Amino acid sequence: MTVSIAGFGVLGPGLPDAEACRRALTAEESYQGGAVRAPLVEGLSANEARRCPTTARYVLDVGRQALRSAGWEAAGVTTVLSSGSGDLEILDKNCRALATAPIALSPTLFHNSVHNAAGGYWGIATGSRAATTSLSAYDDSFAAGLLEALTTVAPGRPCLLIAYDLPPPAALTQVRKVSAPFAVAFALSMGAPAGSCARLSWEWGPATGEGASRMVSPVLEALRLGNPAARCLPLLRALCNGRSETLSWAYPEGGALRVATLFDA
Amino acid sequence: MGIDIAVHRYTLTSAFGRGLAANRAGLTGGRSALSSYALADGFPCALGRVSGLEDVAIAERLARYDCRNNRLAELALETDGFKEAVAAVIRDVGAGRVGVVIGTSTSGIATTEAAYRSAAFARDGVLAADFPYRETHNVFSCADFVRRSLGAQGPALVVSTACSSSAKAFVAAARLVASGACRAVVVGGVDSLCDTTLYGFHSLGLLSRGHPRPFSAHRDGIGVGEAAGFALVGPPTLFGARGGLHLVGGGESSDAYHMTAPHPEALGAREAIGAALQDAGWAPEDVDYVHLHGTGTPHNDAAEDQGLARLGLAGVPAGSTKGAIGHTLGAAGVCGVAFVGLGMEACFMPGTANTEARDPTFHSDLLLAGRPGVIRRALVNTFGFGGSNCSLALEWRS
Repeated sequence: MTVSIAGFGVLGPGLPDAEACRRALTAEESYQGGAVRAPLVEGLSANEARRCPTTARYVLDVGRQALRSAGWEAAGVTTVLSSGSGDLEILDKNCRALATAPIALSPTLFHNSVHNAAGGYWGIATGSRAATTSLSAYDDSFAAGLLEALTTVAPGRPCLLIAYDLPPPAALTQVRKVSAPFAVAFALSMGAPAGSCARLSWEWGPATGEGASRMVSPVLEALRLGNPAARCLPLLRALCNGRSETLSWAYPEGGALRVATLFDA
Repeated sequence: MGIDIAVHRYTLTSAFGRGLAANRAGLTGGRSALSSYALADGFPCALGRVSGLEDVAIAERLARYDCRNNRLAELALETDGFKEAVAAVIRDVGAGRVGVVIGTSTSGIATTEAAYRSAAFARDGVLAADFPYRETHNVFSCADFVRRSLGAQGPALVVSTACSSSAKAFVAAARLVASGACRAVVVGGVDSLCDTTLYGFHSLGLLSRGHPRPFSAHRDGIGVGEAAGFALVGPPTLFGARGGLHLVGGGESSDAYHMTAPHPEALGAREAIGAALQDAGWAPEDVDYVHLHGTGTPHNDAAEDQGLARLGLAGVPAGSTKGAIGHTLGAAGVCGVAFVGLGMEACFMPGTANTEARDPTFHSDLLLAGRPGVIRRALVNTFGFGGSNCSLALEWRS
């Protein structure tokens, strides 16, 4: 059962796009982080764009990047959205409104507070009526999303995996650590079509104590550990270097997802 | 994809009560278990509350997970021999091959709501470092609690797509089984009462003034309920050549239209229902019963009715249980599966409690009262905010 990665998109500190990501991950020691570019919102009306929460902006940005890099239209592409904590900025505003008498919750903030709000905006912005699933497995959300995407992709059913997490607002910094904004998207399809950047094979099995795949550079390793979506960095590194290797993501007190990347010599 | 998944064991705890027997009695009795409630501004609404959660004990090792949502989960896991059935399967196939996929919309958010009202938060402006955000409020908390409570070590995740969450959890579980990643999956839905949903639906004008009346001309919104339901699923061969409830199709789609309003011609809903039929290999006339999403809001019910009519399903007996136990949001899908399962076992077609007459402009064959009848093949519809739609095809095998 071979799955191919047809393209990817990324937005994080000092990583405005796939090209910058390629530069950073082919020479890890050169990466020093940096500012995060403001995400781009395309395809929404002025009203919808005004209401669109920050998390959904990241999703739209990296999702569009991955589609362009794969040369795909959005129609017919199933999306899997994975986020450890969803939109904590909206949660903070809603909980403040609920703690203040008289209670006046904003209808827009309420509907934006659902974990799948970004999935809703994705459909509205792209016009795609393909299925969208939004999930979480806390710090293991990238692996859970990747597994869901790998089991969703089928002949004639390409899938876009989008993972994202943002740092919490001030009131939640003691209870949820996310070091920097990071979002990533991978365009997956069944088989090995020409032009794809990597083939993957995978299995879920017992954790063998090898632990998760890590980054060499301390700055990149801190980013990987600081944001659940950045747990994808070893996969991005394999893609950027054309490196065939087996990567592992282990659940605490559970099994592990192992993915082998394959490149033609 | 052609799903073929056996439901080995299932359980449901809702406003009807704890376990399948209480829910069967509520369903066949045709009563509404909703109670009346007033919001802070005096708005009168209905709640589908589960009683007894105050008395649920959470194991010491999982004390940080203690919250209303996880208590509701634990109460359901401890019912109908569910935990024992999971333990037996774990012994058979190994803990690492048993996954957990749970649907929830708000998880244990009520814990954070309460913390924001506390004197400490007013004083400090931050939640203290020992606040159990991860174990109670985070959306994954519920699946994390369930896997730890059961000792399952396979893949675990929460699907959170508002009101379609636990229906989509069934389809995700089927994918995990079909791919070989899991031999069995504990799939479920858990959502509990909280201010975010009550005041949120009120802010959108979607809460019924009084009790909800799905598919009635006088419908004016939903009543919020809470529920926890679980199913232990796997390939039919895993459980021997047994009959009973099977998931044979799942259809998922997006409206790509609006965050809260359904597509006026129910395009997304039609695609989800159509995909479920196609996945199951059914024609419309093969369907014996439709468990409606039937929330009781003016637009949702109209869109669902139109969607069914356009797919040739207007003649199929259909019912909504949301006037009976409320709209349980992320748990709506597993409630539908359990009610259909109970109806199949009892040869009973559930009706639409609290609705006196169908909207005369509608086309569906709405059952007001439940009635005896054989259900071999049924659909369970769920449609959520963000335009997230999922329809399940269920089959009874003797």
